[in-house]
This record gives sequence, C-alpha cells and structure tokens, in this order.
Amino acid sequence: MANPRELDKRRKSIRNMRRITRTMELIATARFKKAMDRASAATAYTDRITQLVSDLTKAGLEVSHPLLEPREQTESAKLLVLTGNRGFCGGFNGSLLRAGFNRWDELKTQCPHCSAEASGKKGIAGFGYRGIPLEQAFTQFEDKPTFEQVELIANRYLEAYVSGKLDRLDVVYMKFTSIARQSVAVETLLPLGSLDVAEDAQSAAGGGSLYEFLPSPASILEEVVPTSFKVKLFKCFLDSAVSEQVARMVAMKAATENAGELIKQLSMQYNRARQGRITSELMDLIGGVEALK
Amino acid sequence: MSDTTTSAALRCIVVTPEETVLECEAEFVVLPLFDGEVGIAPLHSPMIGRLGFGELRIRSEDDTTRYYVDGGFVQVADNLVSVLTNRAIESSKIDGEAAHEQLQEALETRALGEEQMAARNRSQLQARAQLRIANRPR
Repeated sequence: MANPRELDKRRKSIRNMRRITRTMELIATARFKKAMDRASAATAYTDRITQLVSDLTKAGLEVSHPLLEPREQTESAKLLVLTGNRGFCGGFNGSLLRAGFNRWDELKTQCPHCSAEASGKKGIAGFGYRGIPLEQAFTQFEDKPTFEQVELIANRYLEAYVSGKLDRLDVVYMKFTSIARQSVAVETLLPLGSLDVAEDAQSAAGGGSLYEFLPSPASILEEVVPTSFKVKLFKCFLDSAVSEQVARMVAMKAATENAGELIKQLSMQYNRARQGRITSELMDLIGGVEALK
Repeated sequence: MSDTTTSAALRCIVVTPEETVLECEAEFVVLPLFDGEVGIAPLHSPMIGRLGFGELRIRSEDDTTRYYVDGGFVQVADNLVSVLTNRAIESSKIDGEAAHEQLQEALETRALGEEQMAARNRSQLQARAQLRIANRPR
C-alpha cells in the first residue's frame, strides 16, 4: 500500500504545476489576441498592394522584374526557419524544425552553396544539435515582430539577390489559417514567382486604364515588387508569432486538463491509502484487545 | 452626375504594413510624391503615384493633420486616397537630432558602386525630409 503522505506530496506538486500551466494558458490567450489583431491589421496593407498591382496590370503592363524571374541556375540558396524563442508550445518548434531539415537536405542536393538562418532560440538550438552552421541567427523576434526589424533582414536578402550572391530563398514558418488550424509552410520567397493579382484583372487587361501614373507604370512596378517581398516576409513573421501563441494556448490547456485528471486520480489513491491505514490500525487494536481477554 | 458625388468629401486612408494609421475625411490632401508635392482635391482623376520622403498634409474643416511618410505609393480613385507607406509618423514626433545624425553619417560615408550610391542618396533624402519637418517653424 502506498504511503499516503507521499501521495499527498505528489498531489500538491501537481497542483502547483496546474497553477503554472493555467497561468501560461491565460498569458498565451492574451498574447494571441494581440498578435492576431496585428496580423489582421497587416492585411489592410496587403489587400491594397494587391489592388494596386492588379490596377497596374490593367494598364496593359507586362509584369517583369528581376525579382520575379527564376535564375537559370541556382548556385546559392538560403533557408530561413522561423521558430519560437520558448518551448512549452506542443509540437510547434519540433514540426518546424523537421520541415526545415527536410528542405535543407533537398537544397543540399540541388545547390552547391547553401546557407541557413534561423530565428528563435529553439531553432538555433535545433540546428546546432544537427551540426548545421547558421549564417545568422535572430532572437529579437518575440510575439510582436515590427516591420522595421523585418525590413532590415529583407533588405539584406534583396541586396544579396540583386547582386547575384543569392539565387533562392526558402522560408519555413507556421502558417496561420484559423485558430483551429495552423500548418507548417515551406515557401520560396525569392524569386517571387508572381505577384498576387486580383482575379478580375487578367480578363480586363488591355481594356485601357483609368489611372494616371506618376511617374510611369514601369517605375512604380519597380518599387512595388521589392515592397511586396518585404510585406510577404513580414507576413511570415506575423503568422509565425500568432501560431506560436495558439500552439502554446492549446498545449497549456491540455496540460492543465491533464493535471486535473492526475489530481483526481491521486486523490482517490490517497483516500484509499488513508482509509486502508486506519482500517489496519483498528484491526491491530481489536486484535490486541482480543488477545488480552 | 448626381449631386452626391459633387459634394462628397475626400476620404483619406493611411496604411503601413503594421497597422492602419489613419482613416478620415478630408477637404484637401497634399502628398509628397517622388519629385515634389501634389495636391488632391475632391473629384481628382484616378491616379497611382510613387511617394517620396516628405510630409503628408490632410486638411479637414478646421485643422491640418501632418504626417511624415517614408516612401511608398498612393492610389486615388473615387474620392478615396489610399496611402501605402512603410512608416507614417506624426510630424510633431519627428526627431530632428536623429535625422541630423543620419544626414551627417550619409554625407561622410564613401559609397562605391551604384548600389551603395543609391542607398546613400536614399538615406540623405530621408534625413533631409525629416529635418525639414522637424525644423519647420511652428
């Protein structure tokens, strides 16, 4: 029979843990709401950029830009993995790293020069464990990545790409589709491939445009393309931040529930052990009395 | 044309990648384009333009709102002015000293090659625009 005191001790420690996980869940919920607001505020910008691009294409403009076209040969590729700085968020970091390693192996076979960069302590540790050297590592992104921070990184990539030092950029991040659904996404951001264009734009092309362009459509396009790359990268960071909070929320909720169940179980065991002990003591007493007779 | 369109006020929306900074009604909007300022009055013809560094002024009935904008684009259509910019800061919050430092730094660094020249020019233009706003007599 288990020792009741020991059982009680375990129960107490689990209660403490439950308190912690519940607090973490609440914090994650609050942070998630904030991150979510930021992410949805960002869509206002992307929507307008998309609108702008489709208006540009309506002007009968051939969309072509060095950032959009794939290189004939990809000599050097870069992989950017966005993970969290902290754990306690279920499979979030693990699945990101797994996808990252897979893509890394693929890139290795395709391109002679590969380099990796990671954001988040967990990602850095994961790559370190695998023995993959990181060219750059970022830990400054918490749940509120700012555009200014992301722009610095984006500018570096753009510069490398334009000057020919970089031919391809892949980003691994957690895509946020809804609260109940996030999935690991591996996307090639450079070359951009194509710009998002509103659907009706293609059919209306060549129909003449209402707009007056200052300066020319081509020169505006030249600015739009790098901007849309930056915004895309920023969106990755935002999505990642939101998904991390959701993952933590879910993981901590499960942990809290599990702790509750454990406590219930332990309480039952404890009560039974206590009762058993009392019974056996009584039996002893009765036995002693019987013997004295 | 119906009367509603002629009397309609201009709507001005300023968005950055992070948030929607401003959404308001206006009588007249002055935008810093890449090569100078342009004024937009109600019923302006549709236009798409590239912004430079400078001050965005939005005049509504009795006051003028001023923002520093850091490049980007503007789209004008149907009495709606949408400004897409990387940064929009209220003019009163511009840090003149930081801008001065940035200008000095840009002037002192040596640029080699076209890329760096362009970057230096950008930095200079940006700093000068901020300085202009910061030093404007109030």
